[in-house]
Amino acid sequence: MGSLTHVTVNFATSHLIFPTLIAGILALLGLAILITKRHAIAGSGAYWQGILSAMDRVRFLGAVALTVLYFLLMVPVGDHWPNTGLGFLICSIPYVFLTGALFLHRRGARDLIPVALTAAVAPTLVWWLFTDLFFLTLP
Amino acid sequence: MKLTRRAILATVSAAAILAQPLMAAAQELPRNVRLVIGSTSTGGDTYQNAAIVADALAEKLGINIKVDAVGPTEAFKAVGRDKRGTTLMMHHDQSYLGHLYGVRGYDDIFAEYQIGPTVAVNPGNAYLLPKDSPYQSMDDILKAVESGERVRVAIQPGGVSEIGFSAMKNAAKLAAPGSEENLVAVNTGSQSDKDQALFDDLADVINGSIQSNEQYTQLPADDQKAMRFVWITARPETLSQAPEAGMGKLSRDDMLKYASPETSVTLDGSKDFTFDKVFFFIYNKDMDPAIVKQIDDALAEIYADGTIQERQKEAFFIPDFRPSAEARAHLEEKNAAYAKVIDAIGAAQTN
Amino acid sequence: MDLFDIVTPLFLSLIVGGTFVGIIFGAIPGMTATMAVAVCLPLTYSLGLNNGLALLLGLYVGGISGGLVPAILLGIPGTPSSITTCFDGHPMTKAGEGEKALRIGIVASLVGGLISLLILDLFAPVLAEFAIQFSYVEKFLIILFALSVMAALSSDMLMGIFSGFLGIFISLIGTYSIESGGNGEIRLIPPGMENWLESGFSLLPVLIGLFGLAAILEEAEKGVPESMSAKDVKIGAASTFSFGIFRNQIGNLIRSSSIGTFVGILPGVGGSAASILAYTGAKTFSKHPETFGKGEPAGIVASESGNNGLTGGALVPLLSLGIPGDSTTALLIGAFTLQGVQVGPLFIGENPRTWDAMIIAMLVANFAMFGIMYFAIRFMARVVTVPKPILFPIILMMCVIGAYTINYGIMFDVWTLLIFGLFGWAAVKVGIEVAPFIIGFILGPSAEIYFVKSLESFGDLTIFFTKSWIAIFLWVLIAGSIGGSAMLARKRRMQEAFAE
Repeated sequence: MGSLTHVTVNFATSHLIFPTLIAGILALLGLAILITKRHAIAGSGAYWQGILSAMDRVRFLGAVALTVLYFLLMVPVGDHWPNTGLGFLICSIPYVFLTGALFLHRRGARDLIPVALTAAVAPTLVWWLFTDLFFLTLP
Repeated sequence: MKLTRRAILATVSAAAILAQPLMAAAQELPRNVRLVIGSTSTGGDTYQNAAIVADALAEKLGINIKVDAVGPTEAFKAVGRDKRGTTLMMHHDQSYLGHLYGVRGYDDIFAEYQIGPTVAVNPGNAYLLPKDSPYQSMDDILKAVESGERVRVAIQPGGVSEIGFSAMKNAAKLAAPGSEENLVAVNTGSQSDKDQALFDDLADVINGSIQSNEQYTQLPADDQKAMRFVWITARPETLSQAPEAGMGKLSRDDMLKYASPETSVTLDGSKDFTFDKVFFFIYNKDMDPAIVKQIDDALAEIYADGTIQERQKEAFFIPDFRPSAEARAHLEEKNAAYAKVIDAIGAAQTN
Repeated sequence: MDLFDIVTPLFLSLIVGGTFVGIIFGAIPGMTATMAVAVCLPLTYSLGLNNGLALLLGLYVGGISGGLVPAILLGIPGTPSSITTCFDGHPMTKAGEGEKALRIGIVASLVGGLISLLILDLFAPVLAEFAIQFSYVEKFLIILFALSVMAALSSDMLMGIFSGFLGIFISLIGTYSIESGGNGEIRLIPPGMENWLESGFSLLPVLIGLFGLAAILEEAEKGVPESMSAKDVKIGAASTFSFGIFRNQIGNLIRSSSIGTFVGILPGVGGSAASILAYTGAKTFSKHPETFGKGEPAGIVASESGNNGLTGGALVPLLSLGIPGDSTTALLIGAFTLQGVQVGPLFIGENPRTWDAMIIAMLVANFAMFGIMYFAIRFMARVVTVPKPILFPIILMMCVIGAYTINYGIMFDVWTLLIFGLFGWAAVKVGIEVAPFIIGFILGPSAEIYFVKSLESFGDLTIFFTKSWIAIFLWVLIAGSIGGSAMLARKRRMQEAFAE
């Protein structure tokens, strides 16, 4: 029975064997899903419209936008004081404050105080802990 | 919202004030330096060498140096981006061997980067056999392949672990052209994979090291795990600086028996092939020469003082300091010699 | 034996201190035991060997255990090895049983740690001998068994299996790693993305993106309702914890701890596989497997005793072969060589005092972990009562630190966090299941290397069945797990049909 089950692996192309196999299985499973769930898939346009209209757009998109901005700024800001982690600290304080404020429902001074306190204390503490005490690299 | 505007203003003005002193002193190593290494392991020999040197250098210069094990690809990227001297790199012969073997992600370090000083050698690179192997020496192995026997050697392809194997092939080819085809690579990963290949009888010879394999050579012959050394690639001059007691039951004199000239794998018919795994700095191509000199001088003083050598020897490294210019010449020479070997047997990947 | 030479007050306080710091690292999403040990490794040089090991082993045990806290309370695994703790721990928190779940997890951790330590102490050399009987083939089958839990974890079988394979597929993006035996070539990278994706997506950012960021995005989508925190969840109100819970769990505890220990012994199989396998085992042998994933205490018991079982197990190959059992013990080799101590098959015989010191350190660390965590529960459990506008930004910031530091400072890992946060948020909506996805992602790379290397070395597909009796035994387990899930799915369908 040797010949049927025999396989020779060429090392130079062996990085493609497993991905090809998994892609094949995924294609088969995908096909099965297409067939069994064709009704659900046909109605997906309306389904997503429903989700988008029901969502709290300000909070969701605001959180995503703030996070993108936070990630974008961290490295360039940190580059001014290389290897000190200050980029992380300087960007985290406004980020924690703004996301916190965004998630609040009432934004009176009394509600903003704990958020502002967190924004001042948490990043500073964490920054000190990781760069000074544990000597890890932050942006 | 007033609060945030004020916060941003404060941040910006603070930034302006803090930025000034940095601009003023650009010709020497900044106060906070990141030393990236070409390995992702924080327990391995690259990290240990980097840590020992970083400690000494930081103390000498009164600065902070963090060692980050980001791996070769990311380390090259990081040091390539930064010419201010805030990011330095440390790696070993893999950095040019990877390029010679055509491994993805390795550029020509001599063209794309500056070569910094060498700091130490790990003399441990070795080849081992099962204790009950019919081969007694490298000569036996080379004779066996000449007579048409297949000998399988477990290595991690594309670098330090392969170079000794390439040298064997080269020697076989010099002795009897064509016989090198009988030396077959078994491509594995970590040291445990290579050992396992030996236990599973998937390989006849494995690449290993004095440090991690010596105890296996002390096991009784009837143990499935028992091994013995057949070749240590380091130069005899390097090994003769090792502690006399050697490692475990393998004394320095024993080591020398497995190394050139007593165990000979020829390079060109007259000279022996040798390989020392040496650790050295790699800098950004455009980093200020003043910083290069600063590090050279600081290291020269550190090595003159003599305490760093003690620490290196304790971890079984051979101190080997060469200032940048000398290091570059030394490594270029090694690079040229190994390029010839790899060329001769056509081992470089073509893509 | 002059025990008191080893057990000095400094030795003991280093263990306890190490355990405490380890727990903190483990509890922060994205920080791992490995990171804790790596950070403290340089300290050990000045401490000397035995005291240095005391600190590192404390960090190791603490780091592995701390992961259960965020897994149970927030549904974010603190470390990859606590992933399966989320599946049942977080539902319990949602049902107001967070404190009980924590206590179960901590007790299970202690038992797992102690059983594995006992195995380490008594059988280390014998087990190392057994471990080297596992070649690529047997290791592949072990991974396959762990992967078989994908089917069991899905609520919709077809979508669940698809999600699992998608996880495997995405884990293969990047380089076929030379370090693990591949050829260093890249694959599955969209053109132009090579610069970012050549190392693929790292596990930790993917994990905390899928479980941390995605959950927060979902809350944001709903407008961050205020209700859930202080008022609704009364900690420990629903039912109280008693050790009686463990009366039916003795078999589970022993089995899961042994599985965890054994996975630790096998070099290269990886730490996260331990808890996944233990969880698979518990579900396969359970009398009521349908409760798993919905807040079943047995799931927490399996997962936590499994991952703490790993701690003793991973030291077996380290001390009796000189080979690390997982990424954390790989660092311990560094600690040994820095002190000029050789590890290998003769280690225990040549260094009896160091061996004793390590066993004692592990023992003390396990009890220290238990003591610290058990009595801190009341404070920890309060995390869920912190108002979300305060809690969420802090979690987000900690996730960023975890992602950035996991590979020692790579910004792409932070972007990975966002990519998989958004993916996780959208995936749930289209029916992709996160649990099987992440299991596929975790195990994909090892499945690949062992599968391809099996064929490369033996050149025949039949080798998977004919290699050894161990292989046959593993096939029986795999069949049992898959058969069990299939029967469960059928039962569920019949119940649904009946209900209609």
